[in-house]
Amino acid sequence: MTWLAWRQHRRQLLFGLIGLALLAAVLVPTGLPVHRAFGDSGLARCLDAMSPIADYRLSDPATGLPDCHEPAERFSAEHDGSGYLAVGLLLIFLPLLVGLFFGAPLVAREVEHGTHRLVWTQGITRRRWVMTKVGVVGAGALAIATGYAVLVTWWLYPTLVANAGRFEYLAFDLQGFAPVGYTLFAVALGVFAGTVWRKVLSAMAITLFGFVGVRLAVALARPHFLPPLERRYPVMSETFPNPMLSEWILDRNAYDSAGRVIAPGGDIHCELSQCTDHSLGDYNVHLYQPADRFWPFQSIETGLFVALAIGLVALAVHRVRRRIS
Amino acid sequence: MSTALEANGLGKRYGRTWALRDCSLRVPAGRIAALVGPNGAGKTTLLHLAVGLLRPDAGAIRVLGEVPAANPALLDDVGFVAQDTPLYPDFTANELVKMCGKLNRRCDVPFARERLGHVGIPLDRPVGTLSGGQRAQVALTLALAKRPRLLLLDEPVAGLDPLARREFLQALMGSVADEGTTVLLSSHLLGDLERVCDFLILLQSARVQVLGAVDDLIAEHRVLVGPRQENPRLAGVATVVRESHTDKQSTLLVRTDQPIRDPMWTVHSVVLEDLVLAYLADPSAAALPGPGRLEVTT
Repeated sequence: MTWLAWRQHRRQLLFGLIGLALLAAVLVPTGLPVHRAFGDSGLARCLDAMSPIADYRLSDPATGLPDCHEPAERFSAEHDGSGYLAVGLLLIFLPLLVGLFFGAPLVAREVEHGTHRLVWTQGITRRRWVMTKVGVVGAGALAIATGYAVLVTWWLYPTLVANAGRFEYLAFDLQGFAPVGYTLFAVALGVFAGTVWRKVLSAMAITLFGFVGVRLAVALARPHFLPPLERRYPVMSETFPNPMLSEWILDRNAYDSAGRVIAPGGDIHCELSQCTDHSLGDYNVHLYQPADRFWPFQSIETGLFVALAIGLVALAVHRVRRRIS
Repeated sequence: MSTALEANGLGKRYGRTWALRDCSLRVPAGRIAALVGPNGAGKTTLLHLAVGLLRPDAGAIRVLGEVPAANPALLDDVGFVAQDTPLYPDFTANELVKMCGKLNRRCDVPFARERLGHVGIPLDRPVGTLSGGQRAQVALTLALAKRPRLLLLDEPVAGLDPLARREFLQALMGSVADEGTTVLLSSHLLGDLERVCDFLILLQSARVQVLGAVDDLIAEHRVLVGPRQENPRLAGVATVVRESHTDKQSTLLVRTDQPIRDPMWTVHSVVLEDLVLAYLADPSAAALPGPGRLEVTT
């Protein structure tokens, strides 16, 4: 059965690998100069030195703690990240493509062409048939998604940490192992859709809408994966949270000493000597996910999508065994 | 005589519509059975139930003594060619034979290659580029390669031109004659199958209407010609299947239960095609073996 699954889907897998190679051909040459600038500007070293301080909250020039603001400026002067971030937005759809072209036709094409009647009347169980196909195609999708995730993570990392941070929406979705989870989910959704809507095009349409819907829903739930932390710090201070930390700040507001909001959706810093229109009691409040939760959040997000993928495959196997003829 | 296929009160429903209802039949082993009926009569449903693609909603079906649903072991003994002979169009015939070998415990790969060569199928071209007749031969070869005890064919000649139909059926008969394989093949036209089959199952409107060995059916049906008479009552006539009248004379196709000796009527034998057409024209008539007769043929 493995031979048959490989023979049937090798062309898709080959196209997937070619796509990955094309992606690498674009990302590697464009990523290398960025990484060079990342190293030369001193930003890479600076961030490395900063990251081990787990409870790091405020940067204080007086104590000499690394701030990384200056190397970030040097890096940004050499590398304009806006194009990279725009291309990154396009790359976010690649897992969906794998689901559309690997997952949706897996059962739907057989049923649409009637070939399921050929293969299901051979001496193997439908369960083994669908599991082997899902196994072969899923393994291919896993390999391609892993390559994609490694490439894009490497390519975008310097741009992200120097700009928006890697924990923000869309940045988070392009890095780490989350894209692998998305890809497996998209494939499983496609397979399942093909067992319900038994035409390739319908299965693809359902996969498209289902994928976007579930991705949005999980993204909206993401800030609450772990209870966010709250931090208060004075407006008039020599110290303030370091924006280079790649924290995910969910909400920020500035209040006066009476508790009235003076800067909704923003924060205010000013140094003691220059602060004329603020009083000592004014403070900022951040609701945020600390930078060291990046990987736990990646695990939760990926785990969620992998669990959904497993559930969808189980449903698809059930439908193949019981509901299709 | 053993039984190749047996159904009791078999029914299959799609939504509220019964595609097959209250179907009881028995096909003895070794027969070449024709499954005939108009489009939508339930032929495909019956074959899909027999090969385990469908599960019954009512009653039971047993194939070679076993329940076919989710029974891959039984599928070693059953060859099936689905309607429109579906094949993977990008596979070559050679690859399809390889697939047969990989997916079945028993698939005679050398036989399949030899047979394909014998009927002139190129082994190394994608089957999507072959003609309909050639694809049908590939599908038949895959089914035969399993050396099945029961071969089920769903409208195998529907897409073929008359010459290809004859060649296909000849090849089929040549292949099953020596092995004693039971064959059940469906068509909406009896004419396709009349020359090869010796057993008839006529389905109409989801029900079995006529069932039996062709010889028995021919023997118990007669065409009677006599003076014009509406609703005639005759000794020896069990059922009038069809009657037609001119000004002076009546022609009846009847099912008999004993010889007809009425001197008013001349008695002719019937050909199978007329018999089938007569039953198709009158859905309320039926020629089914009663429980007693089922016992006799067992």
